[in-house]
Amino acid sequence: MADTDQVVEEEIDLAPTQKILDALPEKSRRYLIPALQKIQGVYRYLPEPAMELVMMDIGISKAQLYGVISFFPKFLIEEPGKYIINLCYGTACFVKGAEIIVNKIHECYKIKPGQTDASKLFTLQTASCLGNCGAAPMAIIGEDTHGTIDPEKSLELLASYKL
Amino acid sequence: MSVTVRETINFTIDGKPATAPEGTIILEVAQKYGFEVTNLCYNKKLKPFAACRTCMVEVRHNGKKELVYSCTHPVAEGMEVIIHTEETDRYNSANIEMLLVEHPLDCPICDKSGVCPLQDNTELLELQKPRFEIQRRNEPSIKTNPLIEFYLNRCIVCGLCVRACDEIQGVQALDFHQRGMKASIGTANDEPLDCEFCGQCITVCPTGALMDMSSDARGLAALFKNTNTTCSYCSWGCTVQLETKKNKLVRITADETPGVGINEGNLCAKGRFGHGIVHNDERIQSPLINQGGTFQEIGWDEAIEMIAERAKTTINRNGAESLAGLASEKLTNEENYLFQKLFRNNYGSNQINNLQNLQAPYVNDFMLNCFENGIESKPVTELDQADVVLIFNSDLPSEYPVGGNSIRKGAIFTGTRVIFANPRNMRFDHESRIDIRLIYNQDADFMLANRLCRILIDENLVDTAKVQEQIPNFNDLVASLAPYTADATKKATGLTNEQLKRTATQLAEKADRALIIGNDVLNTGKGKETLNALLNLAILLNAGGEGSVSIYPPREHCNSQGVNDMGATPQYLPGYRPVNDAFEHENLADELFENCANGKIKFLHIAGEDPMTSYKSRSIVEQALDTVPFLVVQDIYMSETARKANLILPTATFAEKEGTVTNMTRHVQKVVPAIPVQGKAKSDLEIFHNLADALGSPFKSKSSSDVLEEIRQTIPAYKDVDPARHEQWKPSGVTAKPAFQICAFEELKASKRDFSMKLLTNNHMFHIGSYTHFSKALTDIGPDCFAEINPKDAKKSELVNGDTLLVESSQANLKVQMKINPAVPAGMVYIPKNWPEVPVNALRNGEDGTVHVKISKSE
Ligand code: SF4
Ligand code: SF4
Ligand code: SF4
Ligand code: FES
Ligand code: FES
Repeated sequence: MADTDQVVEEEIDLAPTQKILDALPEKSRRYLIPALQKIQGVYRYLPEPAMELVMMDIGISKAQLYGVISFFPKFLIEEPGKYIINLCYGTACFVKGAEIIVNKIHECYKIKPGQTDASKLFTLQTASCLGNCGAAPMAIIGEDTHGTIDPEKSLELLASYKL
Repeated sequence: MSVTVRETINFTIDGKPATAPEGTIILEVAQKYGFEVTNLCYNKKLKPFAACRTCMVEVRHNGKKELVYSCTHPVAEGMEVIIHTEETDRYNSANIEMLLVEHPLDCPICDKSGVCPLQDNTELLELQKPRFEIQRRNEPSIKTNPLIEFYLNRCIVCGLCVRACDEIQGVQALDFHQRGMKASIGTANDEPLDCEFCGQCITVCPTGALMDMSSDARGLAALFKNTNTTCSYCSWGCTVQLETKKNKLVRITADETPGVGINEGNLCAKGRFGHGIVHNDERIQSPLINQGGTFQEIGWDEAIEMIAERAKTTINRNGAESLAGLASEKLTNEENYLFQKLFRNNYGSNQINNLQNLQAPYVNDFMLNCFENGIESKPVTELDQADVVLIFNSDLPSEYPVGGNSIRKGAIFTGTRVIFANPRNMRFDHESRIDIRLIYNQDADFMLANRLCRILIDENLVDTAKVQEQIPNFNDLVASLAPYTADATKKATGLTNEQLKRTATQLAEKADRALIIGNDVLNTGKGKETLNALLNLAILLNAGGEGSVSIYPPREHCNSQGVNDMGATPQYLPGYRPVNDAFEHENLADELFENCANGKIKFLHIAGEDPMTSYKSRSIVEQALDTVPFLVVQDIYMSETARKANLILPTATFAEKEGTVTNMTRHVQKVVPAIPVQGKAKSDLEIFHNLADALGSPFKSKSSSDVLEEIRQTIPAYKDVDPARHEQWKPSGVTAKPAFQICAFEELKASKRDFSMKLLTNNHMFHIGSYTHFSKALTDIGPDCFAEINPKDAKKSELVNGDTLLVESSQANLKVQMKINPAVPAGMVYIPKNWPEVPVNALRNGEDGTVHVKISKSE
């Protein structure tokens, strides 16, 4: 674990983080969330070395920073897979088989909601309602929106996504 | 008291008339008037938060009825407050009932049981019949740090711990994580807690979710016996609650009840977790006699007899003045009083001293000068009402952690402005809007303080005409300040004149000001000059400004003040009466160790001190103790000093004895025994009584309270103090003698070329004096001594974190692990003191002031 951390740390270019922080109107907690969104926009997640910078620059503690991060499921603290599967787990989608999809994904990719598969192809997340219940079950994979997914054929759908 | 005047509001609670300053919240006043209001997330020390929604009351105001949360709603003129209506009870109950759905109700095995607000509120609302189906959480306990267990099944997510850690402690180690049903408190990513371990979070938690793991004995708080006594570590003087079961000290907690102690239920790691020194197998078990280098047990009678005999023969052969005693900054007033009495009355020797007075004899004079100039030390209980606090060379979180708590509270509720002056850029987080940080060069303290005086005068920030009228030697002061120009100060301190002007302006504004002086000032080699300059600053503000000035003088240990009050000094008898003709003789105790080493002192009795580790210079102590023909040491643990003794006597810890101690602002407070004296040990008080008996001239007193009575009659200032009320002693019979203290200007000495770095040493956050290293809890959180250096110096010497550093002075060298800390300025090596394995005082070569060293990587 420690070793991989080291590698990640070396690879990360912190210049964009610094640029984002320097561009804030004020280095205060008020601008934390937009800053985190921009940082995630750069790295696709919130790398720890970048967070160290945020802590120092904005002047908040680690507990406070990760308190904010863990409040928003959108914020990721580990590098996600190439595609983030945002699977709707709202009432309508649940009734229409979202749980079956989750189970199938688990069988095939060995991941549960919140996890990333070993090859770093997929990160599975669940949402409360994607706002299109008529097309339940719904999922957003990467940039693509999929409606009325046949749960039994969900793995075939995923198979079209490659590393 | 703050200079801001708040209007008084009139209103009623349940029909009874009440008043409070504007802005006061309903819950606070209601409690003050003795009304019971349900609440779970309120604490007087913290900002209103309103998370639990169980404190609803009804208010009628301007003909309108409203239901409000009493922990956030302020009182208003003419408001009628009604507590417990059918409606408010219904709302408050529903919220508690919902909490009880999840709460484990494992009360029989919970640490908080019996002192649990959740229990109390449940009882208050008579919620014996739950309406909802129980759905317990069953997460495992988190025990990833040495001291605080998180059993979050009991957590009601009230946020008190998070807020205490942030607002009162300034640490922010905890926060809320996740959300909704999963919301919980904890550290970032559930990492092991790594913090100041003050335990404030345990105190404020209204449930048993956070628990003290420092003791094996756990269980219902209600079943333990509580004894409130005074902490035996630093000179802040917190009241600690000793919890005992079957004559065994189980743990130490804080009592937040108003009026109990000066600390509002705040404690630090040492005070709360440092109880491992009490029940400890390493304590000295019996009187010991040194026979050719090995210690043999002997009986008490024999030991006492031997000391008395030896004292008599020494007096006969070499005169009474060859007997000397080192009193203790940690013994009680009564013990120190008897000890000096033993020397003065029984032996006829004035050779008595204590470590603070040996190292900084000018601190007592500084105090007396403050008295003569009418500069007060307001009770520490009023520190949270100061408008401005100047923290002068004190790393508060380590030195006076609970002082930091009061200042942070003041920053929130009084709007205290904070000025932090220190050579190290230490962390001191608080919520004050004004925060001036003066990070100045080591040892330039006197330059900084004098420059501030000069700016006050030059810029007419104080009314100089008024000052001149009141203080006769004003012109001398002005003349003496000539060398403190902006340039000279910039050169010496590294601070710009703008920074200092801003500081002086803040200080000069109408305000109640508190000036906290850290003990580091005494190690700069210019301690006296700095104290005098700060006194002059206070006099200028007092005489020429509006508001008040209060000084918190440097005192290190729990009774550094009291030992001096009791006259355990060669200069002063009890109560600072000058030593008169009765003792006309050479003053040997002023240079106690030198006079042991040169053979003038033949008999040395050390009570509860370990000068081998605590005195600024180790070599002279070593010579002294090796030379003096007879050395008695009484102490709790086998110290390096004790190892050199002819005779060792085992003594009692603070938890086993009775008496009083006096804190840095002269609050005289009780020490109350919670358990009997352990094993064969005796209290220091009993030992002194026994000695007087053996000398054939017994003291009239028999008990600690007898001695206190005698002190009251001897020291006018102590006459009326009631230790149960945490009162200060006030100077009595002091004639006002307003005068600035003038010191000649002397430039800072430059570092010698081959020893180009300066050493700084003081107490570690988790350790003070020589006992804390015997407390397992404290060594668990502070196991190793680390030297700290600036990244630049590390780079220069090619050092990285974890390297072993070789630190050399012209006297000695030592090896110590190091870490890089940007808060330490370039050119400084910081090493905590009193560390058994790293005797940093060995580096001093006898000269005063800062020790110059060089560093390199140790192979
Ligand atoms: S022990 Fe003190 S510093 Fe540590 S988490 Fe609790 S309140 Fe914060
Ligand atoms: S641990 Fe205690 S103080 Fe902290 S949120 Fe939970 S119940 Fe409140
Ligand atoms: S601040 Fe001082 S007196 Fe208070 S608990 Fe800590 S060591 Fe004891
Ligand atoms: S429940 Fe899935 S889109 Fe609304
Ligand atoms: S005490 Fe008022 S809402 Fe908790």
